[in-house]
Amino acid sequence: MSEVATEALATSAQTWREGPPPPRMPEGLRRPPRGRGWVTRLRDYAALNRVREEMASRTMAEARNPERGFPVSSGRTAVGFVGGLLRERRAVLAWAVVINLLASGAALVAPFLLGDLVDGVAGGTIGAGTLDATVTVIIVAIVVQAVLVLLARRASAVLGYDTLAAAREEVVRIVLRLPLGQVESSSSGDLLTRITSDVSKMAAAVRWALPHFIISMVTIVATLAAMLANSWLLALPLVVTALMMWFGGRHYLRRAPAGYITESRSYSVISATLTESIEGARTVEALGLCSHRRDQLDEDTELSGQAERYTLALRNVLFSMVDASFQLPLVGIVLVGTWGFNADLVTIGQITTAALYVQQLQGPLDRVIMVLDHLQIGLVSTTRLIGVAEVEDDRTPQDVVPAGTDLEGRDLRFAYREGHDVLHGVTLELAPGERVAVVGPSGSGKSTLGRLVAGINRPRTGSVEVGGVDVMDLPLDRLRTEVALVTQEHHVFVGSLRDNVVLARETTASDAEVEQALRVVDAWGWVGKLRDGLDTQLGHGHLQLTPAQAQQVALARLVVADPHTLVLDEATSLIDPTSARHLEGSMHALLDGRAVIAIAHRLHTAHDADRIAVVIDGRIAELGSHDELIDADGEYARLWRTWRS
Amino acid sequence: MFRPVDASTPRPHDRDPSLRWEGRHDFPPRVGGFRAGEPGAPDVRSPSRFLFWLMRSMGWVVPTMTLAALSWLVPGSLTPWLLGRAIDAGILSRDLAATLGWVALLLGVIAFGVAGGILFHTLAVRMWVIAIHGTQRRVGRKAADLGHLLGRRVPTGEALSISNSDSDQFGATIEAFGHVMASALSFLFVCVLMFSTSPTLGLVVLVATPLLLAASLPVMRPLTAAQTAERTESSHLTSLATDIVAGLRILRGIGGEQTFARNYERQSRKVRRLGITLGTWQGVVEAISVLLSGILLVVLVYLGAQHMLAGELTVGELISFFGYAVFLVTPMRTFFDSAQRWVQGLVAARKTIALFAADVPWAHRGRQVAERPVLRDESSGVEVHPGQFLAVVSADPEASAALADRLGRYLPPLTGEEPELDDLKGRKLRLARKERARVRAERARADAERAAQLWGVTADGIDYAEYDLASLRERVVVSDTGASLFAGTLQDAVDPWGAHTREEAERALRTASAEDVYDGLPGGWQGRIDEKGRGLSGGQRQRIVLARALVRNPEVLVLVEPTSAVDAHTESRIAERLVEHRRGRTTVVTTASPLLLHRADVVALLVEGREVARGTHVELQAHPDYRRVIARGMEDDDE
Repeated sequence: MSEVATEALATSAQTWREGPPPPRMPEGLRRPPRGRGWVTRLRDYAALNRVREEMASRTMAEARNPERGFPVSSGRTAVGFVGGLLRERRAVLAWAVVINLLASGAALVAPFLLGDLVDGVAGGTIGAGTLDATVTVIIVAIVVQAVLVLLARRASAVLGYDTLAAAREEVVRIVLRLPLGQVESSSSGDLLTRITSDVSKMAAAVRWALPHFIISMVTIVATLAAMLANSWLLALPLVVTALMMWFGGRHYLRRAPAGYITESRSYSVISATLTESIEGARTVEALGLCSHRRDQLDEDTELSGQAERYTLALRNVLFSMVDASFQLPLVGIVLVGTWGFNADLVTIGQITTAALYVQQLQGPLDRVIMVLDHLQIGLVSTTRLIGVAEVEDDRTPQDVVPAGTDLEGRDLRFAYREGHDVLHGVTLELAPGERVAVVGPSGSGKSTLGRLVAGINRPRTGSVEVGGVDVMDLPLDRLRTEVALVTQEHHVFVGSLRDNVVLARETTASDAEVEQALRVVDAWGWVGKLRDGLDTQLGHGHLQLTPAQAQQVALARLVVADPHTLVLDEATSLIDPTSARHLEGSMHALLDGRAVIAIAHRLHTAHDADRIAVVIDGRIAELGSHDELIDADGEYARLWRTWRS
Repeated sequence: MFRPVDASTPRPHDRDPSLRWEGRHDFPPRVGGFRAGEPGAPDVRSPSRFLFWLMRSMGWVVPTMTLAALSWLVPGSLTPWLLGRAIDAGILSRDLAATLGWVALLLGVIAFGVAGGILFHTLAVRMWVIAIHGTQRRVGRKAADLGHLLGRRVPTGEALSISNSDSDQFGATIEAFGHVMASALSFLFVCVLMFSTSPTLGLVVLVATPLLLAASLPVMRPLTAAQTAERTESSHLTSLATDIVAGLRILRGIGGEQTFARNYERQSRKVRRLGITLGTWQGVVEAISVLLSGILLVVLVYLGAQHMLAGELTVGELISFFGYAVFLVTPMRTFFDSAQRWVQGLVAARKTIALFAADVPWAHRGRQVAERPVLRDESSGVEVHPGQFLAVVSADPEASAALADRLGRYLPPLTGEEPELDDLKGRKLRLARKERARVRAERARADAERAAQLWGVTADGIDYAEYDLASLRERVVVSDTGASLFAGTLQDAVDPWGAHTREEAERALRTASAEDVYDGLPGGWQGRIDEKGRGLSGGQRQRIVLARALVRNPEVLVLVEPTSAVDAHTESRIAERLVEHRRGRTTVVTTASPLLLHRADVVALLVEGREVARGTHVELQAHPDYRRVIARGMEDDDE
């Protein structure tokens, strides 16, 4: 035994880190600039900014290509996905563009008429009558504009929310299609982040940015057209705007996604650290970890501060460009206007109109950069969401029907990491209705054996057959009626009680069958008393079940699924001892008449089984009934004696 | 040699403080005291006092930010005036020199405004991030200070929402505060400009702008309602998605994908519908704003043109008025928004001071716990002798957990949940909030009373109440069933202090029989453990927690059900090694497993919370109560 242990920690000396962990803050950022004189200071700041930029692009690369977890798709696939959704909504999209164009057009009428009016007044060619007429037209234009704006915003909301709903529903469908082996082996953390934070970023992009992109672009194009129609000469200063927006926007948009992803990550890190400190406050106190938790949080916030400084610098560059870009044309208009007015090329009215149009451009121009920014971030999130679909399925269902309910695993080997087999050719048969207990030390491979038998992972060599058919060839919904892995995770879904029980036979089970299943597991006592019966809503904000009730619901699911073989893994069943006793009866009813492979922690489970398999180091070391193993006087017998003495 | 609990080990991140960025008025801020009366401690007397304290704590940042906002807003109000002058004195009089002069001035004002805008943005972000990071650091320090009492003061979810969302609200509130100051000044400035040009038109603008904004208020209520509805259902939708992910093993293992895809779709459609309603209301608000600013424009045009015809107003001046009318909408809107922001800030502040005002009830006592103390628990009569490996068996597992809490001087965890306030509104909400505050205050008072009394556990014959708590925590370590694992490397998980040797860690890992965790992680000691040990099995988590407690190597180690999730083989191995590992030191284990009991020096049997028998496992076999408790663990016979 001690030999194995030495072998197990063989690499300890190489992987142990002497001394404190390396600081997470990059070397160049560890001290504020201290240069004397503003030139040195400025150079210092530029150097800092470069280090922060590197930090951001590293984080971005990590986000796009995570070390662990699910794959990330290419940007092109994500664009294709969103493009596909928009193509399906061609009519909605077209209507949104047209109505926004009309609304923007209506907004251009009033400044144009004002210009005319100014000309009239300045030229003295206006009377009280014309004034009234012009004002009436302006009022009509404004009313029309208001109505069109309402319609346009509604059309944009329809487009945004509709596309978003389709996108997120598709994402959930993708998640629900994930291969069984993948679901069982990976931690849910990565998937959870994607389904919450990435969906919300995608939502912001689709729901807000997409419609506003359309609104802004349409307004900009319409206003530009109107400027040209008003006077091409007075539109010339806009070239300055275009150039500054181009360079400023490009500088910003190239760096912004990395900057914001780093920033939001830094806040997730702070939140994770604090969650641990708060939920584990007693552990922190008990182990004297206060200062360590404090230092960790301090470092988290320092890193977050660096991420904030980077995006702040990015925005400052952008804002100076954008602010200047829509204020400078005003100067240009005055200058060009003076010259044009002198040369009788433009009227004072046209100058007025141009000045008003330039003011109207401010909003959309300001917004369009932010919108592009959100669209980029949304696209990065979409690549992570669509990436989940790229997990390859591990089984190819064949059109086969098992001829019988006997189960046989032959020569099973399996490795989580290449070259590290945890099972070394295990063979195990299970007759219909037989109970086999699997015992053995942790890490010996007994849980892995259970997963192979339940058809969750494909063995590296050998096969598991039920009724002569390889379990990996069975379609998933058929497999579920043959053999089930009971993890005893007592997860209660948000939904009705019926939804929580029917699972395996969601389309076929009748209410009577659900009721029968709940009776079998001894749960009808409390279910029958519920006012809404099977329609009672469970989960957060609704009826909260006690752990024992939740466990009964979990067992009822299996009664409904009705597989002939069950794999019970005590390792994942952390029922508290008090409710365990109450559940004994329910459990008994479930197991009745089924073949069972129990991965047992408690020796009494083993004692009650027909046969016991002792798994040590990936091999079955002993196999036989309790009495046979006691007689054989091996590992099991030794353990049993300690237990009983 | 006694080491104070906090400075027991060199801190991994300890560096020369001058190397850090943090300063009093930069982010992340250095935070001062967090207990009442300490310098730099927040003012928790009322929500508004807290907000003002927060502003004051930022020193020059808030006033400078307000000045910067002013230097950004005022040039905006000057632009229309300069444009008007340029048109009148320059263009219309065909005077190139005058135009150039005005244009130069306009350029200067624009440049000043852009610079002011950047300054304002920079300072606003600084203030905002100081508020966020400062609050987060204070929450972290408060949580560390309160320790296990935190859960008795504020629910964990609430403490988290202070750091995640309320901290952000403070930034928004204080920015609005600075913004509104600057807006008021620039508003006055524009008024002066308008009245000096045309009192009539000035009056029209001044009266009409607030009236028009007020006219748009009625639609704000349905808009807010639509926003709330969309947000509530949206968060419900997110929780459906997380629910699906959390139960994905079941959904893929047993089935039910269609049902829950359908439930999600139904909710998604509902959110879509509410979203479109919200979008429509936003459209209504925008349409009304078009209409209202249109009316103002029309009035200005009509009156202005008449004034011009009468020769009382120049073209340039009229154009200036168009500019003023557009400009004034922003400060007005700021006034309306900021009132709301302040209210939201107060709500956030109320939640925050509930945490910051919480204090530890322990009185400071200086007595240090001796190196090898004899502990005695009065209420159960259990005595713990130095160097002994004592197992505690109880018919009721909760009685032994309570004993462990008393030995460690921990107040019991709370049972029962507080009622949620989410669904309440108006008067009911206020009443419920008041009731909750009362219950919490009552509990804090009861805790303080309990802490002031004799504790009921003695070390060397002297009650715990006489001892310095830090010294007790150093000597007596309780590893309970709820002990948390923190994210980090395996090395950090086993040796979070970063102060122990590889040999110590290896020995602890072997004793806890957790070599398989090391082996299963790519990277060995540097392999990543996710938060809460997610990705490890229950048994693996439990063994790593045990290894960590062993590395800590305290004089007295109290382990509550340390092997409840471990299989019999491994448990027997742990039992064998654990006794050896702890030889010479004091260990208390609560368990009902014969494999562990077999190895203990002494076993104490509790019945109804009192020690009724004491002896070795073999000796106690004769005791009928003992046999019954052990048998239950072995055979699960229902009683």
